[in-house]
Amino acid sequence: MLRMILVRLALTVPILLGVSIVAFGLMRALPGDFVLAAAGTNTVSQEVIDTTRRQLGLDRPIWEQYGIWLQNALSGDLGTSFATKKPVVSELLPRLAVTAELTLMAGLTALAFGATTGLASARLRGRTDWAVRGLNSLLLAVPNFVIATLIVLLFGLYFPTIGIFNYVPFAKDPLGNIVSLLLPAISLALTVSVTVSENTRAAVLEVSSQDYVMVARAKGLLARTILGNYLVRNALTPVITVTGLQLAALLGGSILIETIFTIPGMGQYLFDSVTRRDYPVIQGIVLVSSTIVLLMNVLVDIAYARVDARVSYE
Amino acid sequence: MSEPAPRPRHRGQVMVAVGVAMLATLILIMILGPSIAPYSPSATSPNSLDGPTAAHWLGTDSIGRDLLSRLIVGGRGTLTITFVAVALALTAGLILGLTSGYIGGKVDLIIMRLLDVVFAFPVFLLAIAVVAALGPTVKNLILTIAIVYTPAMARVVRAPVLSIKRWDHVEAARSVGVGEFAIALRHVLPMAISPILVQTSLILANTIFTVTALSFLGLGPPPPDPNWGSMLAEARQFMELAPLTVIGPAVAIVFASLTFIVLANGLREMLDVGSR
Repeated sequence: MLRMILVRLALTVPILLGVSIVAFGLMRALPGDFVLAAAGTNTVSQEVIDTTRRQLGLDRPIWEQYGIWLQNALSGDLGTSFATKKPVVSELLPRLAVTAELTLMAGLTALAFGATTGLASARLRGRTDWAVRGLNSLLLAVPNFVIATLIVLLFGLYFPTIGIFNYVPFAKDPLGNIVSLLLPAISLALTVSVTVSENTRAAVLEVSSQDYVMVARAKGLLARTILGNYLVRNALTPVITVTGLQLAALLGGSILIETIFTIPGMGQYLFDSVTRRDYPVIQGIVLVSSTIVLLMNVLVDIAYARVDARVSYE
Repeated sequence: MSEPAPRPRHRGQVMVAVGVAMLATLILIMILGPSIAPYSPSATSPNSLDGPTAAHWLGTDSIGRDLLSRLIVGGRGTLTITFVAVALALTAGLILGLTSGYIGGKVDLIIMRLLDVVFAFPVFLLAIAVVAALGPTVKNLILTIAIVYTPAMARVVRAPVLSIKRWDHVEAARSVGVGEFAIALRHVLPMAISPILVQTSLILANTIFTVTALSFLGLGPPPPDPNWGSMLAEARQFMELAPLTVIGPAVAIVFASLTFIVLANGLREMLDVGSR
């Protein structure tokens, strides 16, 4: 087991290196000069440009710049925001916590909703199956930012007293915080729930045709017992891992959802930084989120191998 | 079992027919564009932020432009970007996937590891970062989306090629002296076409999402050209004054992505992809 974890992590290292090169290169390939963006204005004297260039280490060869940047990133220094002149990490971490909470809530919502519809569609078949699959096609076609806009519209028109834009920090009021994230989490969850639902359906159908389920049925066990003890337990394992793999989609969606519901998370931070052309922040967010997604995928693989003895990674 | 056996192929054909009809509607609107729009998309009228009326079926925006006309003309922009970008991603994916899968060995290893790097980024996040770095123009938008979806395309091309290249008819072609390039193109690729079709359709749906979402965030093609994403963003801004203006762009976006999802699901059932 330990060997497998180490191998899996070792395979991730070159990809992480590649990701860091892309994140670094993206912001160095900017049209216009990085120095001008850093100085914050277009009308600076040549002297200031030279000083800034030296300060940022831009006068060195590009591979050396990358080396320094990577070393700093590894020691937890993602540079300084152009806009606020504060370290990117110190601004990013509290927002990352907010996004993590939103993503977790959305993931759980998607899991609960998708598993229910998927199970219903596989067990009840017929009309229910058709209804669920139709609903899934429709949900897949409605992008999360359209859902969020419609939710905002409906609540704004019919329940104007409910402040849907009032984000409550967790430290101030934990319950109020969860309530304030409920609608954003639902808008984020619906698209992902389709993947969960389809995988649940497939998994339940597969498990239903296994011999042990037939034996259980032949023994005369109650349908309820079979459902609880055999079907759900065995079908849900792959489904949970699939939900874990949806993290990238959830993180991408959170950019839109946080902007629409004005939630001070990483997504809104990215949006603000893009409008402000705050490149170190964009770079930091790209690096951090891809690393999180990659590590999450490793975690999912390991968890999957742990529950399913047939899986092995040599 | 008293139920009659399901006929997935038949159901798939029906879905594909519906999908093709929806696609034809979209393409027709895209081609006819300005000539069927009741007004010029940039013509203003004194009635700004009106709800639907007889003169303006979908209402007007904040400076009195007709929303239906903007929706029709905006569709042209959104769909052109989508089609061109996916065509590029498909071409790149075909070249990379076929090369990687057919040649195998070290070439395969290098290509796939490089694509893994692009694949590691959350799609939408990478798209935002690239557009932010390059600047939001139509050309950059197309390029970004092509880059972002190439790895997914290449993987779908590569997977079936890996097994098809070992089939007997390939060996037969080789034994009568057909060149490797011709084998890959004429004897391997055609056998792999079903999953590629399904995946292309799904990526078209995803691209509709990415294009409109980027424009929704203000990273789409620059104004004054209308497009669905920025129209929805504007409608959201003036929601209290004219709530119904949200409907037009929202329905258009959903219709376009639904088209490709129906098409993908239909093709999947009709061609029996992924049920082996």
